[in-house]
Amino acid sequence: MAEAILEVSGLVKHYPLTRGILFRKETGSVRAVDGVDFTLHRGETLGIVGESGCGKSTVARMLVNLERPTAGAIRYKGEDITRLSGRALKAVRRNIQMVFQDPYTSLNPRMTVGDIIGEPYEIHPEAAPRGDRRKRVQELLDVVGLNPEHINRYPHQFSGGQRQRIGIARGLALRPEIIVADEPVSALDVSVQAQVINLMDRLQNEFGLSYVFIAHDLSIVRHISDRVGVMYLGRIVEIGSDAEIYDHPTHPYTQALLSAVPVPDPEARAHRERIILAGDVPSPTSVPSGCRFRTRCWKARERCAQEVPALAVPSNLGGPGGGPAAHDSACHFAEVKRVVLPEPMP
Amino acid sequence: MLLEVRDLHVEFRTRDGVAKAVNGVSYGVDSGETLAVLGESGSGKSVTAQAIMGILDMPPGRITGGEVLFQGRDLLKLKEEQRRKVRGAEMAMIFQDALSSLNPVLTVGDQLGEMFVVHRGMSRRDARAKAVELMDRVRIPAAEERVRQYPHQFSGGMRQRIMIAMALALEPALIIADEPTTALDVTVQAQVMDLLAELRHEYAMGLILITHDLGVVADVADRIAVMYAGRIVETAPVHDLYKAPAHPYTRGLLDSIPRLDQKGQELYAIKGLPPNLMDIPQGCAFHPRCPMARDVCRTDVPPLSEVSEVRGSACHFWRECLNG
Repeated sequence: MAEAILEVSGLVKHYPLTRGILFRKETGSVRAVDGVDFTLHRGETLGIVGESGCGKSTVARMLVNLERPTAGAIRYKGEDITRLSGRALKAVRRNIQMVFQDPYTSLNPRMTVGDIIGEPYEIHPEAAPRGDRRKRVQELLDVVGLNPEHINRYPHQFSGGQRQRIGIARGLALRPEIIVADEPVSALDVSVQAQVINLMDRLQNEFGLSYVFIAHDLSIVRHISDRVGVMYLGRIVEIGSDAEIYDHPTHPYTQALLSAVPVPDPEARAHRERIILAGDVPSPTSVPSGCRFRTRCWKARERCAQEVPALAVPSNLGGPGGGPAAHDSACHFAEVKRVVLPEPMP
Repeated sequence: MLLEVRDLHVEFRTRDGVAKAVNGVSYGVDSGETLAVLGESGSGKSVTAQAIMGILDMPPGRITGGEVLFQGRDLLKLKEEQRRKVRGAEMAMIFQDALSSLNPVLTVGDQLGEMFVVHRGMSRRDARAKAVELMDRVRIPAAEERVRQYPHQFSGGMRQRIMIAMALALEPALIIADEPTTALDVTVQAQVMDLLAELRHEYAMGLILITHDLGVVADVADRIAVMYAGRIVETAPVHDLYKAPAHPYTRGLLDSIPRLDQKGQELYAIKGLPPNLMDIPQGCAFHPRCPMARDVCRTDVPPLSEVSEVRGSACHFWRECLNG
């Protein structure tokens, strides 16, 4: 496996809840991210899936330093970037860029496309000499499949898919090594999603990028990712290669999530087992004791309320090196359950 | 036929020109049947539904032609007064965004009960009892207490259940659900779709499900109508359409779903962009994006041809498409 480019360990983000105006008292906290560990290798795509409120976007924001973690470390090539400030932080930021979900609100409507894509050069002037910038921006437009002559247009003159290409071009401007993409295609029409996914795939090969790809659409994540992490209520509950997660899920939440995805094949309707979870995700202000999934889990026993399951290879599944079922899963009673049917050959 | 839309045309007059949102849509739905209307943004799927419900903003919207036959009578010819009696009581709608569709300053009990007070002339006390009953029907736990709560105190999935309860309140013959689960997470989406399917079955209602999600359609629909640029381009029983699409647009949508055996390869993508409704291409609206387009496609609008007794395709070359 390639070298680790980003190592996240014990990442925590709590937002305090306070009462009172004059005398602020902390009454609790929103535990948005509550102990997340993963490693991103050079050139790979790590997909992170989970439902709204699971903390996946907060993780993304911490990776690009838009949010300071409450605890934990994010090591970029061995150096903890959460402790950096000033010039050192700026240098690191150049290498970790972000693509946002909503191409309508993440581009300034009063700036031309040229200014939007060229803005990173204002902040990092060393990346491109002033005289070169216009040419660089036009090259970037070409790379993402837009007409370089449209450099003076405004965002409203582009469609949603084209705007997302502009956002991607801006992310590429500084030639970063890592791109954190937070739901980059979920605001786009189905016929345009595939175009943007193909673009991201091509750029990864061309520029040797590493992606952290955050999304809730499981089929798209499977297509683009080398490894996949599943988040629930602020923690990763299962992580492994795409085949391990999709074909041999061992955590009950992953199984329920996969089984709930509508399959675009009416023939599958009859012979498909759906796991319908009871209730809603608990509030991150009052996380259940022990395993945080136990309140919705059909396997929950006493032990689940007392002991927090560690994210590790479950010993009953053969331990490390025990086949595709032996990957990290945070469940006391992990076992393989196939929920995704083999797809019919077209 | 419970509801039949015939050759419906809707346009919007704006400062920049006329946007032709719906250009001759015809479809029907029977009691006890689920019709999925599939399309991307701007395909006219929601505007058609709004015209059926009579909640289209006019102006800027204008219905320039067509009929909406509901249980035999043309709704478009009714006076607003009569229309209001149909709406809610005989046909009801479920919207995508439950939070903005519910009134934030009224309790859910008041909002559910209002249906009975307005349409059935019930007393407030009886209406409240009905509201609790409905919340039980859509499986909201502790309905007795929660009936006094406000919309913001419910989760997204629970709010959508309240919307469903409200639509079901007067036991309408037809429900139109416009992207009912798009804003919900997948595990909650599964709960809500299950509930909707079960209730539809129990009340033997007709259901029009508007969606962009081919997965949801495959899960629940009996028939499907695919819309593009304000027209129906293909209509078929669900099984037939997924097995062998008869229109290149439908084929393109199905092909662009990531499949397991395509991992690491380029995804199939329909080239180009959805059309601008102010300037719909001549001939077949899909021709600039179509891999099969020929000269005739640039000049002649393809009619909805009969592929079989139960399916139609608006493509000049549907035979070729059907055979792959």
